[in-house]
Amino acid sequence: MIKIEDFTFYYSGASKPALEEINLEIGDGEFVLVTGPSGGGKSSLCRAVNGLIPHFYGGKVAGQIEVEGRDTLKHPPKELATRVGMVFQDPENQLVATDVEREIAFGLENLAFPRELIARRIEEALDTLGIAGLRHRQLYELSGGEKQKIAIASVLALHPQVLMLDEPTSELDPHSAEEVLAITKRLNDELGITIILIEHRLDRVIQHADRLIVLDGGRVVADGKTREVLSSNYPDIEAIGLGIPPVIRLTHELKSRGFNINKMPLTVEEGQIMLIQVLPKAYARLPRPEAEQNNKPVIEMEKLWHIYPEGNTALQDISLKIGEGELVAIIGRNASGKTTLVKHLNGLLKPTRGTVAVGGIDTEETTTAELARRVGFVFQNPNDHLLADTVAEEIAFSLKNLGFKNTSSRLSRTLDMFKLAEYQSQYPRSLSGGQKQRVALASVVAIQPRILILDEPTRGMEYRLKHELMDFLREYAGQGNTVILVTHDVETVAEYADRVVLLSDGEIMADGSKRQILSQAQLFSPQINRLVQAFTEYGIPDDILTVAELLEIIK
Amino acid sequence: MINFRYRLKGTPVHALNPFAKLAWVASIFVLSLLFNHPVYLLLLFLSTLPLVITAQIWRQWVSLMKFTLYLCLAIIIINALVSSHGTHLLWQAPFQLPLVGTPAITLEAIFFGAGMCLRLLAIISAFALLTFTVHPDDIMLAMLKMKLPYKSVLAISLSTRFIPTLIEDAARISDVQRSRGLELDRGRLTQRLKSRMAIIIPLLSNSLDRTVQVAEAMEARAFGSGQKRSFYKEIALKKPDIPALIMGLIPLLLGIFIWWRGMGDYQYYPALARLGFTGLEGTLLALLILSLCLMLPLGLARKRIEVD
Repeated sequence: MIKIEDFTFYYSGASKPALEEINLEIGDGEFVLVTGPSGGGKSSLCRAVNGLIPHFYGGKVAGQIEVEGRDTLKHPPKELATRVGMVFQDPENQLVATDVEREIAFGLENLAFPRELIARRIEEALDTLGIAGLRHRQLYELSGGEKQKIAIASVLALHPQVLMLDEPTSELDPHSAEEVLAITKRLNDELGITIILIEHRLDRVIQHADRLIVLDGGRVVADGKTREVLSSNYPDIEAIGLGIPPVIRLTHELKSRGFNINKMPLTVEEGQIMLIQVLPKAYARLPRPEAEQNNKPVIEMEKLWHIYPEGNTALQDISLKIGEGELVAIIGRNASGKTTLVKHLNGLLKPTRGTVAVGGIDTEETTTAELARRVGFVFQNPNDHLLADTVAEEIAFSLKNLGFKNTSSRLSRTLDMFKLAEYQSQYPRSLSGGQKQRVALASVVAIQPRILILDEPTRGMEYRLKHELMDFLREYAGQGNTVILVTHDVETVAEYADRVVLLSDGEIMADGSKRQILSQAQLFSPQINRLVQAFTEYGIPDDILTVAELLEIIK
Repeated sequence: MINFRYRLKGTPVHALNPFAKLAWVASIFVLSLLFNHPVYLLLLFLSTLPLVITAQIWRQWVSLMKFTLYLCLAIIIINALVSSHGTHLLWQAPFQLPLVGTPAITLEAIFFGAGMCLRLLAIISAFALLTFTVHPDDIMLAMLKMKLPYKSVLAISLSTRFIPTLIEDAARISDVQRSRGLELDRGRLTQRLKSRMAIIIPLLSNSLDRTVQVAEAMEARAFGSGQKRSFYKEIALKKPDIPALIMGLIPLLLGIFIWWRGMGDYQYYPALARLGFTGLEGTLLALLILSLCLMLPLGLARKRIEVD
């Protein structure tokens, strides 16, 4: 049982509170989903519950928190470790040992448990998570998803009553993410462990949660049973800019159009039940066929193979043409060759066999620096980009590298375009996550590359920022530039892309309009598309992808 | 890329107790420093080979040795250029340098450089054996057993744990900055150093962020909870390991005895001494190398016990 009373916290030196007058009571065995925009106070709340606030992060505190009868202000994290366990975002940064057994043992050793007990706890933790097979492995051999499971096991071994997970899936691919979330559900169901899960993407987890807490600006703006919060607090949540699963958005739109819906659906299946109730009053109209695009190709790959020096074949016989003004999404499972493919476009990788031509130039015959003038590449983590002392210098960096003359006019135009003028003399790393991402993007777009590549640009991004970014990319492609996204985010692809290339095991499995590809690929179909599959006999086309399209035919 | 990490392989060398291996490596290390004689140093180096081969770490060893040989080349060249103690002149510069005088290369200086290289090769080869055949956590435990403070040992082990992560980070950041038009290998040295900074700054900043996160995660798992820590894995010295431990120390004692008797020294300057030995010295040296080589059969024996 966790009791939070009038809790307020300021990080040292901060003028605004990270948490403000929080009052919450979380009972044993609850599954609580905590969501909100970044900087809303989600992580701070978790840190306060296990005592990292104020014992690790100093600052100003008011109010109190009691965890299983222990006051967190008086008990530091190490004394709370057997009551609340915490799993962090990046598995890489929470593992301290070199092999699985010793990793799980670490916390138990800190508490000076006897060896026999440690051995038993390791066994039990591995069994609970169904990963006994990993027992004798070295950590560096494991995938991100496996590492995250080890992180959970190592916390679980301390037998906490409460397990907190701070965006545990944000570094994982969708498949591993599902697995990790399924584990939290099982721990809650079978062992009665209280789960406090922080997520800003709701679609994968919302059906598991008994309770939904929304934090914004350090305050609780909504708290209650998941369905109720989603029904009654919908406008608030939408205003914050959270990513609301399409099924729920659809339901709201339908409600606001006068349809009478009692139970808020959380999953595709529930959505189908909901849709049956409203469909008889609806009629269907086929969407217009899209105009075939026939643009001048700027990227031409001919029978491209890439084999890494260690011998694994990452790309096999890829032939692909991409034209001017296209917005193409490259999707596929982890390790299907997506990133390897796009790294060929600016010469970071060279073909083992076959050719890659960009704007008519064979990449084999030029350098990455030379290609950087026409191919901009925005990588996933803005922290890998940022190196300058100010935002302005950061943006000027590429311009200088490439020897542009009119640096200052390009710089000021870019600062305006990305609304960064007010931050131009700030240290880029001290900005918020969303702003950093904008700086990284701006530093690449400043060159006005004819081809812009983005690797997982929306991962970990909130809904509102995501849409700002995608609107920009849409516009950029509209100016005749080519935009290529490498992504797992099918909902965004469904809304914004023109064309989708699906890779699997280094081969192109499918390539075509998004409608054609996304409505056929089970694993990569957006929620609304899965929803409408049950209604083809009602005359609803099976290639509908978004809420807006569906609403257009349900009048 | 060759993987420079410890890997569990069921070889007889891996089966040896970490303390025994530590003692053995310490023997080679100390003796390499005590002895000057090129034959001694060469034999010390050669005596690491049977274990390297048995441990199946040949590939990593070879690439490490390649790197060491570059280092050796540098040592020989620099020593030859700066040392002027030798008497057999091979080459003399036609000019004078301030402070140093006329640079000259002598036969003795080259031999001395080569001798030092043998020393380096022996030491590096022995340590390679340790890193590739002892689990890093076992090295940590061994250090703890020798009463080093836990926090310092943990700091060392954490920094080795994050080296692969750091290498990955560096590769990624280098891709990012190259995509932004950075050219790493163009321009003069100062220009090159400056472009390297574009990788080093994000790398260091990322590592700092990582450090805070790791510290936080450790704290949340009861690190530093005040009471004495327990250890899940123990590297106890079991009865069957005792012969190996003793065998690891015998060469050290024997070697110190040889050195104390004034043997194993060699005069490079002003003229190379004769390489020969007296009968007694030859016998003692043979005994020393034999005692070093006995580690292998002990490993085989230990492995057999493990299998049974």
